Amino acid sequence: MSAEPDFDVIVVGAGVAGCITAYQLAGRGLSVALIDRGETPGAKNLSGGVLYTHPLQQVFPDFLQTAPIERRISRNQICFLNQDSSVAIDYRDARLDRDGTAVSVLRGRLDPWLAERCEDAGVLVMPGVRVDSLLIEDGRVVGVVAGEDELRARVTVAADGVNSFLARDAGLRPAPQPHQLAVGVKAVVQLPSDIIEARFGVDALEGAAIAVVGDCTRGVGGGGFIYTNQGSISVGVVLRLDDLTAKGLRSTEVFDGFLDHPYTERLLRGGELLEYGCHLVAEGGQAMVGELVHHGLVIVGDAAGMTINTGLTVRGMDLAAGAAIAAAVGVAEAIETGDVTAAGLAGYPKALAAGFVGQDLQTYARAPKFLENPRMYESYGPLLADALHQVFGLDGSARKPLRRVAMDALKGSGIGVGTIVKDAWQGARAL
Amino acid sequence: MKIVVAYKWAADPQEATVAADGQVDFSRAKSAVSDYDAVAITVARHLGDTHGADVVGLTVGGPEVATGLATKAALSRGLDALMVVADPALTAAGSTGTAQALATALAGVDDIAVLITGDSSVDVGAKLVPAVVGGLLGWPVLTEVTAVAIEPGALVVERAVSGGTEQLRIDGPAVLAVATDAATVKAPGMKDVLAAAKKPVQQLPADPVVADGTLRSTARLSGPARRGIQISTDDPAAAAAELVSALRADGVLIGGQQ
Ligand SMILES: Cc1cc2nc3c(=O)[nH]c(=O)nc-3n(C[C@H](O)[C@H](O)[C@H](O)COP(=O)(O)OP(=O)(O)OC[C@H]3O[C@@H](n4cnc5c(N)ncnc54)[C@H](O)[C@@H]3O)c2cc1C
Repeated sequence: MSAEPDFDVIVVGAGVAGCITAYQLAGRGLSVALIDRGETPGAKNLSGGVLYTHPLQQVFPDFLQTAPIERRISRNQICFLNQDSSVAIDYRDARLDRDGTAVSVLRGRLDPWLAERCEDAGVLVMPGVRVDSLLIEDGRVVGVVAGEDELRARVTVAADGVNSFLARDAGLRPAPQPHQLAVGVKAVVQLPSDIIEARFGVDALEGAAIAVVGDCTRGVGGGGFIYTNQGSISVGVVLRLDDLTAKGLRSTEVFDGFLDHPYTERLLRGGELLEYGCHLVAEGGQAMVGELVHHGLVIVGDAAGMTINTGLTVRGMDLAAGAAIAAAVGVAEAIETGDVTAAGLAGYPKALAAGFVGQDLQTYARAPKFLENPRMYESYGPLLADALHQVFGLDGSARKPLRRVAMDALKGSGIGVGTIVKDAWQGARAL
Repeated sequence: MKIVVAYKWAADPQEATVAADGQVDFSRAKSAVSDYDAVAITVARHLGDTHGADVVGLTVGGPEVATGLATKAALSRGLDALMVVADPALTAAGSTGTAQALATALAGVDDIAVLITGDSSVDVGAKLVPAVVGGLLGWPVLTEVTAVAIEPGALVVERAVSGGTEQLRIDGPAVLAVATDAATVKAPGMKDVLAAAKKPVQQLPADPVVADGTLRSTARLSGPARRGIQISTDDPAAAAAELVSALRADGVLIGGQQ
């Protein structure tokens, strides 16, 4: 190495992935810098919504008590939304509330809290600094460049989110394909807590998460979500980029349509718009996870393509946290043994594969392909509503047995039984 | 010789929300070194470099002003050291309470050549604190300062006055509030933040905070009433003309060329 490193580790990106990697490495006695372009960490991060807490509880045993949690999600709904009808599955479970399995969070609060934990652990947090590129010498990553400054480290961690220009510009990751990307449009709408609790049927501190399929995306591959925060509601759509382009629609147009839909409008009525933004989502699942280690570099979280979209849940934060835990193991090992080559850092991919992140990415490997199936967005919602209309829409005409109802609805939908069986089978295999 | 810069760790107004009834809500706004105080720090840094003087920052406020994030943000702008008075009672201090706390802290520092401040704070903007501090210390106060030089026992100050600038010579220390454009502020780089983490931060105890009497607002903030002017854009040319005349009537547009 041509110069003494300034730090053992430099982490770029103070999102969930970067903060947890930095926190764990500082806890192992290493000198760590954590750089983020936001003036305060999280300032630019679009608040995703529902966080599955188990990896965070592993890192911070008091996470549920001390972190800025909005609500514990104890009610999950899946809603098939059509133009004039909706069919929902409603799942409520006291166990979810008790265990704090999933919570709603706002990144504008969570990220600063994580960065503060890092500061307390001895990490040098550098907000307001945009890293321009990796510092590469003889094919090894030896630090980062920002403006006129260079900082050197034994290992650099790219936790810079879904675009990861750092890894891409250095030729270490291919640019994602359009079908591997989705665009998320999201808003946070302020409402009094008691109104939220009444509208969503939850108690104080408890929350609901609604996954919406169908008309909310105007048939574009993807889905909508509505999550309750303490005094606000996160509402958004996630749209497959290639499908959006093919259908000639703009993401904001689709989102506005979702907000105006009577189903959504009733839940948000009277609310005040606090925040609005767009962000890319890596949807490629396992296929998109690139090489995770290079000489002097590891890539974690969205930067490495670690997102799972099952159509019903968007997961990225918990995977980012899980990857961070694995990365900290690998990086610490490499620095301890003095071997920061890709081989020396191999403890990270190994720990990742053995943990829940690797396993879940494997389990859901077929999900992206399955979610490209247009019937998910166009046909099944109306089919369900038509069947239920036969049951509940009593108008004096003679009723048919349920078996006939189902068959008629099916015929009306133009989907063959064989197709449904195939879709169900693929869905079962993918999800 | 020391140059002291007083700065405020203030909520960023760009992140404040204004409700339909005109209430301004700062609760979601993140804090930063107040924009105009960053100008003051930059002016002080140049002055310190020119004269080989130490540039010391001073801030008073609630507990949040003493966090690592807050102190590093200030130090990375070029201060050599920092003095912080953090106390929950100072969170809601008004101009008098804040100035009193600043003056008390300054009284304990020797060899101050000058106290430099920003033009006003971004969140309150009352432009009062420098004057009250000067009054409490018995130092002269100048505002709209565009340039400063130190001479033995004296300050040479340039300030903007209507129609031009004037140059003044002051014996002994003074409080100088710099103009908003007195210097171009550069965003701190990585090396600046790295250096900041190694600079000394001195926490001073807070004296009992002076309350600014009891201030209670007795009427809603009322802005200029909207008169509900509506302009149809069906005919763009007519709409433009109508807009211009409405703006002219309100005194927004002035001068010739009807
Ligand atoms: C609309 C939407 C909804 C979502 N919903 C959910 C959900 O409900 N649950 C869930 O678990 N996940 C959800 N996700 C996914 C989740 O947000 C991401 O997976 C997660 O944020 C990844 O964390 P990360 O730390 O890898 O990256 P990020 O959170 O993107 O953090 C990257 C950080 O790097 C910084 N950075 C980038 N480039 C630079 C640079 N050059 N220099 C300095 N700093 C840089 C950024 O400022 C940022 O702070 C959602 C995403 C979207 C867009």
